[in-house]
Amino acid sequence: MVQVNETKRFLRFKFIKRGSLQYISHLDLVRTMHKVIVRSKLPLWYTEGFNPKPKMIFAAPLSIGTESECEFMDIRMSEYIEPEEAMARINANMTSEMQIIEAYYPESKFTDLKWMSYRITLTPVEIDDELVLRSNQLLLADTVEVVKKNSDKTIDIRPLIKSANATRVGNSIVVDAILSADPSSFLNPEYIVKYLKEKGGLLSDPDLTSEHYEILRLKAYFADMTEFR
Amino acid sequence: MQNNNISSVLKSVSKPGRYIGGEFNSVIKNKDEVSCRFAFCFPDTYEIGMSNLGVRILYDVLNKDKDVWCERVYAPWTDMKEKMEEYNIPLCAVESGDSLDSFDMVAFSLQYEMCYTTVLAMLKLAGFPLWAKDRAEDCPIIIGGGPCVYNSEPVADFFDLINVGEGEEVLLEICHLYDKMKKDGSYTRSAFLRAASHIDGVYIPSLYEVSYNDDGTIKEYKPLYDDVPKKIKKRIIEDMDTASYPEKLVMPYIETVHDRIVLEVYRGCIRGCRFCQAGMVYRPVREKSVETLCKQAKCLYDNTGYDEISLISLSISDYSELPALTDSLLEWTDKSHVSLSLPSLRIDSFSDELMRKVSSVRTGGITFAPEAGTQRLRDVINKNVTEEDLMRSVGIAFRGGKSNVKLYFMNGLPTETDEDILGIAALAKKVVDQYYAMPKPERPKGLGVTVSVSCFVPKPFTPFQWEKQDTYSELMRKQELLKSAITDRRIKYAYHDAKVSFIEAVLARGDRRLAPAIAYLADKGQMLDAWDEFFNYDLWIEAFEKCGVDPDFYTSRGFGLDEVLPWDIIDVGVTKNFLLRERNKAYEGETTPSCAEHCSGCGANKLGGKNKWCK
Repeated sequence: MVQVNETKRFLRFKFIKRGSLQYISHLDLVRTMHKVIVRSKLPLWYTEGFNPKPKMIFAAPLSIGTESECEFMDIRMSEYIEPEEAMARINANMTSEMQIIEAYYPESKFTDLKWMSYRITLTPVEIDDELVLRSNQLLLADTVEVVKKNSDKTIDIRPLIKSANATRVGNSIVVDAILSADPSSFLNPEYIVKYLKEKGGLLSDPDLTSEHYEILRLKAYFADMTEFR
Repeated sequence: MQNNNISSVLKSVSKPGRYIGGEFNSVIKNKDEVSCRFAFCFPDTYEIGMSNLGVRILYDVLNKDKDVWCERVYAPWTDMKEKMEEYNIPLCAVESGDSLDSFDMVAFSLQYEMCYTTVLAMLKLAGFPLWAKDRAEDCPIIIGGGPCVYNSEPVADFFDLINVGEGEEVLLEICHLYDKMKKDGSYTRSAFLRAASHIDGVYIPSLYEVSYNDDGTIKEYKPLYDDVPKKIKKRIIEDMDTASYPEKLVMPYIETVHDRIVLEVYRGCIRGCRFCQAGMVYRPVREKSVETLCKQAKCLYDNTGYDEISLISLSISDYSELPALTDSLLEWTDKSHVSLSLPSLRIDSFSDELMRKVSSVRTGGITFAPEAGTQRLRDVINKNVTEEDLMRSVGIAFRGGKSNVKLYFMNGLPTETDEDILGIAALAKKVVDQYYAMPKPERPKGLGVTVSVSCFVPKPFTPFQWEKQDTYSELMRKQELLKSAITDRRIKYAYHDAKVSFIEAVLARGDRRLAPAIAYLADKGQMLDAWDEFFNYDLWIEAFEKCGVDPDFYTSRGFGLDEVLPWDIIDVGVTKNFLLRERNKAYEGETTPSCAEHCSGCGANKLGGKNKWCK
């Protein structure tokens, strides 16, 4: 299944995107990384043609409002560089909210990445164990129906949920979920929040400063549920 | 650094990336280790403010001083403003997330008159009294600076202190004076402002009394004390090679308007177009050497990773060493996949060589500014370019592969007739003809000619400062006339709303009696007037009526030659005599040569400065 990249042209970076950087869109992230890798003075490979650009590929774009401990980008190099050296140079050119945590020449492709885990923390105005129980029942139901964004179509996202369960932590409900990250059937964790809001009556007014939710992407997996790398 | 007040609403506003800060190269200091906390406010959105060169320079200069911590503040978009008001979130600085009342100085960059309501909206969001006279001892010192301060009178009563001219040195002097007076115990708000008035380039509006004649014109500006200067002399940086220039730039995460390296090549302008305020108030011309510029460009590239360097100045092709500069830069920029752009090209100095240098990497349109439709009117405004120059330049652009040409014009210029307006349409048509005169294989595909016309605003410190502005209906009639004269489908016609130009003229030429009207708009919640969607003409007219302001007094009336002008309190170097001479020559249709050809004795040389042309 895993294809070996013989030429080692691409260097893979696993990085975090935390705190206020959750508000940076994928497009802006790409623009930012472009400048980061240029000032890191890496041996970048440039595309041919009239408007040469470095070659960067990102796995599973993150939507605005989600933090992550598990982002991947592959960058094509023009010559060999020690992964640790490249990682150190890049990290010196980014702030603490975005840092590379691993760098290596990969043997897998981003299309091999099938599942991602998330921790969703919902903090309603009032919490009781009944609310946690109801959330769990909803997440375990045979069908998990949500209305698609930007359309009025209802879809069942059950097949895209590997697992999901809710527990109470202090005044919050914490949902640990493993969701599809396959490019053809990617499930945005915002749908889980939306589902619990609509069906479970959680967070009726998330604008209120006392009510809020956070989403954190934790890990990536291959189809056999071993950790993606 | 994340601000907890703001973060609670970030999920419910548009473009939250505007408010987060934490950019690479932004400066974080320990607030307990600095003696002056300086909030640099830009009265427009983050995307606009982050692109401003003046802010980039001054942020860097102030933060190089270990005793000062300068932070940035931008205007919130209207959805964020509503949230801030709803949840009582005060206006905060981007770096520390602290509200503005924890600062010593709060400075506003006044880039265009239409930002005035935004300034007041920001003062309100910060919880400060609008009027300088109402501010308590512990309120930060509110400072104004930037191009609008060459006539800051309409907003003078809202500021404690105004910085006239280039700010690199004077802002630090102000901070040092503040620090010294705080330390030796002599600081009171009024004692500080009085002492600051002795610094060259500092204007303290509250230290002057303005009186008016029965006809509404200004009688005189009288300093309240003998030690307060009668006129405020503009500050300049004498030597651009030794002047501080940023080595690093704060790197925005979101896309900004000018998201690139901006290399300031020189200050001032050798030309002297008679409508142009910048061309007069930034004199004398002071160039940087090629060596300095190359060093700065390379350093900024290393520290930013941008792939574009924009060479800027009022008229880049007038830089005396332009070929040497572009050659030196191209030695490494091409290899590094960095492109050069020259945004202010004159049509009399555009060349094939220049075209090759700037278009090596990127495609896109090209802009030229003939400003007027006939040679007669171009001579009146001293533009000093001909139709031949334009045709030659567009020919070069077409041959160089540029198929989109944008032409800038003005209407409502002094002495303008309908013939001049129709001349714009004729000139645009000739550009189209020039394209089709080229053999087909040589033409770039997809011709597009855009005629962009703005309305003339007679600006302070120009030879046209006494002129009257055309009335709204006259400007509209001229725009319609031009519209009907442009029949070619390949010519796109874009024009500015004359209503905005009318309000802009009132604010540019106004005096202190306008302040209540601006405050009236702020009280109605008005801000971001520079954005078409928020500009509210009817509300401006209502404000003028309520506050007893006759806008025509400042626009269609025109100013008498012997009248005391609101901006006479400022000395920009260029003398009133020179402006009068230029005005007379305009009416004779006589042109004035550039500083490079002949010194016309404008008076700016008395300001000093290391420069090439002044006698």
